[in-house]
Amino acid sequence: MRLIKSLHKWLSVFVALQLLIWLGSGLFFNLMDHSKARGNEYRIKPIEAAVIEHNRLLAPSTILKQLELKHSEHKQPMQEVNSIKIIELLGKPYYLLNHHQALYQHFYNEHSLINAYTGEQKVIDDDMAQAIASDTYSGTGAISSTIRVLPPIDDFLKEQNTVWQVNFDDELNTSIYLDASSGRLVGHSNDDKRFADFFFMLHFMDYGSVGSFNNWQIMFFALLTLVFCLSGVIWVVELLSKGRYQRA
Amino acid sequence: MSWHRNSRKYHKWLMLFVGMQFVIWSISGAYMVFFDIDYIHGDSLVVNQQTALKSEQVNYPIAKIYTDHPNATNVELTNLLGAAVYRFSDGKEKYLLSADTGKLLSPIIEDHAVLIAKHLYAQNDAKVRQVSMIADHPPTELSARHLPVWRVDFNDFASPSFYISAQTGELVTKRHTFWRLFDWMFSFHVMDYVEEDASNKLLFIVTVLALIASLFGLILTYFRVFKKKGNKLNKARRAA
Repeated sequence: MRLIKSLHKWLSVFVALQLLIWLGSGLFFNLMDHSKARGNEYRIKPIEAAVIEHNRLLAPSTILKQLELKHSEHKQPMQEVNSIKIIELLGKPYYLLNHHQALYQHFYNEHSLINAYTGEQKVIDDDMAQAIASDTYSGTGAISSTIRVLPPIDDFLKEQNTVWQVNFDDELNTSIYLDASSGRLVGHSNDDKRFADFFFMLHFMDYGSVGSFNNWQIMFFALLTLVFCLSGVIWVVELLSKGRYQRA
Repeated sequence: MSWHRNSRKYHKWLMLFVGMQFVIWSISGAYMVFFDIDYIHGDSLVVNQQTALKSEQVNYPIAKIYTDHPNATNVELTNLLGAAVYRFSDGKEKYLLSADTGKLLSPIIEDHAVLIAKHLYAQNDAKVRQVSMIADHPPTELSARHLPVWRVDFNDFASPSFYISAQTGELVTKRHTFWRLFDWMFSFHVMDYVEEDASNKLLFIVTVLALIASLFGLILTYFRVFKKKGNKLNKARRAA
């Protein structure tokens, strides 16, 4: 029992600060405004665009043949296509070709875009990124900058694809992220979300900001804290058995 | 009474009520940080198949889909077990079509679902233990928007289950024992016994008490670890 008590005493020195951070950030999660923490204050669904003129669509097999021809006649390396999806960007239909398929969208994927009427390849440039981002934005801010960002992305640490970051000069410093190769909306971020993310970073001891709670420092402290809490509960049980929990 | 004695009293009494939750927090927290989250999500159970489409596989024109389903959305040409297929939605219904012949493949039958599940499963020689159709009342681990699905349970370590959409043949989600345990651990961690989210009142009350109890604990640490030397010195001085 003396060992338990001295263990509890000395562990308290080591875990004190992190334990208070855990409790404090935990309390923050409990009280925070969850909708604000999502960073979607100014996020809207883009207005439904023009109807696709189905008779003008190129056949997907034609798209595949184009790529196969490029490979056989122009000796270009074959760009394998895993899937072809019809999507709409800024009211125009595009074929979204997947060249490397990951388990999830935010894992590393490779895409290209082809105008579904003309067959021309489309690369999303900063103008197009701004237009797509603006369609999902309901705030009054103006675009202050548009930057191509390689992962890791501070606002979306789990995203593994290159993105366009479109920044707005509103009071929340909204940033909108689009997958640079597909135009997929990764998400909106703003100062409310960044504030909440700071507490997540503290709670997960993600001091290197890699977006994960599977790091060695949290494992180490988790073990110490587990021993600390167990020794404390054993102490409580001992106090109970000795009748030390009495009023006065 | 002194800060030291008061702190001991309050730490002792508060921990009688919240001490057990500290143990629950540290056990569930340790579980969640020690298991790699990608493993928990069953990512290592799935082979990430890359199957290239060939133009000769696609003989059914996309235009015909729109003739039959003028309101078709999310139209996609992709692969299923090496064959080219179209997937699309029409209102709430989802369809799966052979891209070669245009034959309707959905809803998929049990044998087809098992083939898909085995094709995606990381272990080639895995045995299927049980297959069931879930059309309504999904278990908590399955979102109702995926229904109807085939649940394919494998006879393997950690009892993995693959949920295959009966409408599209897609793997909509997966679970295994350690993920199911993780969900339990999370529930215990945020105390969602009554209200099912992390902003529930029970968690609030316990966390506030826990914070107060810990601060008294910190005062005790100060007196017992850092002030001790001073105490001894004072005693020695008084004795002298």
